[in-house]
Order: sequence, then C-alpha cells, then structure tokens
Amino acid sequence: MSELRISSIETRGVPGKKRYAMVIDLRRCIGCDACMVACKAEFDVPLGVFRTWVPYKVIGKYPTVRKMFLPRLCNHCDDPPCVRACPVEATYKVDDGGFVLQRYDRCIGCKACMASCPYNARFMLPKHRTYTDITRVVDKCTFCHHRVTQGLVPACVQTCVGRSRIFGDLNDPASEVSYLVNSLPTQVLRPEEGTKPHVFYIGADRNHTEIGRKIYNPQDVMEVERAVFNQNHS
Amino acid sequence: MGDFNIFHIMPWSGTYAIYFFVIGISAAMFFFSALSWYRPEFQVLRKPAFNVSFVLLAAGGLLLIADLTQPMRFLNILNPAYLNFSSPLAWGGLNLVTFGLVSIAYFMTMRKNDEATSRKLAVAGALLALGLPIYTGFDLTVHQNRPVWNTPLMPVLFVALSLLSGAAVATFIAKGEKLLEMLRRFMLWSAGAVAAMLVSLLGTTAYGGSGSELTFMFMTSGTLGAVFLGLGILVGTVAPIAVLLTNSGKQQSGMMLAGGLLLVGGMALRYSILIGGQIVQTYF
Repeated sequence: MSELRISSIETRGVPGKKRYAMVIDLRRCIGCDACMVACKAEFDVPLGVFRTWVPYKVIGKYPTVRKMFLPRLCNHCDDPPCVRACPVEATYKVDDGGFVLQRYDRCIGCKACMASCPYNARFMLPKHRTYTDITRVVDKCTFCHHRVTQGLVPACVQTCVGRSRIFGDLNDPASEVSYLVNSLPTQVLRPEEGTKPHVFYIGADRNHTEIGRKIYNPQDVMEVERAVFNQNHS
Repeated sequence: MGDFNIFHIMPWSGTYAIYFFVIGISAAMFFFSALSWYRPEFQVLRKPAFNVSFVLLAAGGLLLIADLTQPMRFLNILNPAYLNFSSPLAWGGLNLVTFGLVSIAYFMTMRKNDEATSRKLAVAGALLALGLPIYTGFDLTVHQNRPVWNTPLMPVLFVALSLLSGAAVATFIAKGEKLLEMLRRFMLWSAGAVAAMLVSLLGTTAYGGSGSELTFMFMTSGTLGAVFLGLGILVGTVAPIAVLLTNSGKQQSGMMLAGGLLLVGGMALRYSILIGGQIVQTYF
C-alpha cells in the first residue's frame, strides 16, 4: 500500500499512525437522514448548511426504479487540496488519524478552501447563530474528532439505523473498514482529482454519482429556490 | 448529482473579478510609469500613470479585504507564523503588500527628484507589478477540480489582460504620436495574445471531460454566453482589434474607442472565467 503514497502529508501505511476512514455501504442506506440530524445536533450546524447530507437520484425505468442515496461528507483526503489552498494554515491535517480540521480563530474567510474542495464539503457559517458564537468562518465535518479521540465513533455512524456507515482505522489490518475496503469493490468520489479520499462507498455507480447533463436544463422551480438560497447565504 | 441535492454557493463572487480587473490595471499602469525612465515617449505618463496605479491598488486592496468574511483578520496573511507558502494567496498577499510599499517609496523618491533611486525602484516595482496578474492567475490555476481555471494558461492570460486593460486606460491620458503608437501596439499585441489563448482555452474546455464540457456549454450557449462570447470575445476582443487595424484606430479617438471596448472585454472575460469555473461544481 505504501507505494501509493506520493506526498509527505499522506498517512497511508505509515507505521504507528492511524488513518481513519469511513465506509458507506449504499446497499444498506435507506435515506432516513438520521445521520444529518445527528450531525446537526452534535455540532449545532445552522439552517441551510450541512456537514453531512444525503442527496438522492431516482434511477431505473418504471417499474424497475429505486432511489439511490449517496450520503456525503468531508472526505478527509489523504492529500487534501484545502490544506494546500489556505493562506494562513487555518485548515490542517492531523498527523495521527488523518483528520482534516479547521482553526476557527485563524480563518480569514477568503473561501480558497471552499474553491479547492472537489466535494463541496465546506461551507461558510452565517452571521447569526443561536447557541454558538463561531460565526462567519468556514466550517466542515471533523469526522467527530472530539468523539473519536475519546474512543467513540462519529455521531452519524453511531446513529445510522441500517449500519450503512462504518468507521475505523485503515492502517489497522484487523479493523472492519480495512476488511471491507480490502475484500469488497469500493469506490471513492472523484478519484481523478488525486485527493485520495477517506470515504469509501460500496455500491456506488459512477454513472450516477458524477455531474450529469441534466444540470444544463435544471427545473425552473429548483432554480428559483437556488436563487433565494444564494441571496440568503451570500 | 441527483434529483435532490442541497444547495452550494459559489465561493468566489463577482467581487473577485472586479479585484482582478483593478489590480491588473494598477500593475500595468505602474509598468508604464516605470517604462518612462527608459523610454522617453512614456515620460508624459510617469506621474499620471503612477497616480492611477496607486489609487487602484488601494481600491483593489480594500475590495479584497472587504470581501473577506473576517476583514480584520487580513493581518493574519502578514503573520509569518501563520503563512502557508503552498498557497498562492499567501504569495499574493506578500506581493501586494511589498508592491504597495515599493509604490510609496517610488512616490517619495519621485517627489525628491532622486532619479537614480527612482529608476531602481521603478524596476523593482515593475517586477512586483508583473507578479500581481501572475499570482491572480495562479489563484485559479491551482484548483485541480475546476474546469477553465485549472490550465497553465491562466497566469499568462492574466498578464496579457493586465497589459491590455492598462494600455486601454493609458490611451485616455496619453499625449504624443509616438506614445499613442506604442500604446496601440501594446493593445493590439496583448489583445491578439488574449484571443489566441481564448481559442486554446475554449478547445481544452470543450474537450476536457464531462464537467469541462458542461462548463463550456454554460459559457457559450448557457447563462454566461452573452457575457463571455458577446461582451468578452466579440465586443471586447475582436471588435477592438478590428478598430485598431483600421486607419481611425491610429487616431487617439479611435484608440480611445478601442480602449473602451477592451476595458469592457477585460472585465467580462475575467468575470466569466471566474464564475464559469464554479457553476458546474455548485450542482455536485
């Protein structure tokens, strides 16, 4: 595995270092959105923005149709472009564990990290929040760093009713994520970007996970909603 | 992807395009002021070009700071303990501040009529000025997931756009046949270079895979078509080249017309390239 390591920031196969990853088994995801709710509750994530979200696509042709859910979150890339892009090192990678985290007190709000993220995992916190005073800086999923360092799993993994989300250390050959990644065909989103994501999907079909031609002629109603959203979040 | 997704915003708004525009003009105007020490026909531009450069530098800097969601933390970019040199923004921040300091020193030595020091500062400032469009181009180039942006053309294109916009502004304050002819050549050659680069850019975007192809569609026949093709290429690049090649394009009035069109085109191209690279990603 270590022959795949290119950049010095990567933790693949580094002895004594943990490399946390999440496997999402799409065959087990029922689209209940409990992961989104758990995440919102864990971090007081404001309205309109998400650390994890579950988009879906209806695939197939009647009567053989199904909804394909694709839970999304920060991929905690082994070679994260956001870390390179930040001019003040407000975003950084934790050496042991591979968490990509944010220093809120240092972020200047230039949004270079948002521009560099191929997964849209980053968002700007709004001006006003009810319970938390961290505002107007970039935020993202932390892989629940505070829970994992206490020996717990992330809130979304804990709450997943179908046990679709599995979390663990990829550098540990005995972990469940290692077993799944090594024994089943898995996919990552946008492998061509060279970011080496740490979120692996079982059962994802690239024909459906990529951007389709449909966006060129989006539904009018969606565009109206987008315009309103952009107005409120610019 | 999908039939349902949450909404994502474009991280970099049109404000950045205005910043790219003013900072490009500022860099080129300083270059013309510096050139005046070595080419006598540019002497008439020495002070006015510098004044425009400095005002636009200050305006651009303030615009950039105001666009941060934490404006007062712009000082973090000057903190050596925080700087991340793998980010072009860090280099850009340093370049911008150093250019500002050199500009102030240049202004002081010009006032004291200290020619020897002014000449040296002019060269140093011109090199730093060249760094401004280069770094703004790199700001976009380094994002490997962005169609249109992620091409080695960007820094070079921004240098050409900077020269073109600067020369266009200079035609409005220039006097003397020789100087006007030099500015005409600057405009013509840089507009030609921009046109050639746009052909390459359109080619690599149209054939660059699904995300790039969709971006090409948005920029030509989609929502950005009128700005990119209409204002950026036809009105802002092809038309001024045509005007500059005619006899009236050799007169100051014709050059001012071409200059006006080039400024419209320079702004439209920067805007459409900035926004074009972000449209598709908002749907992912």
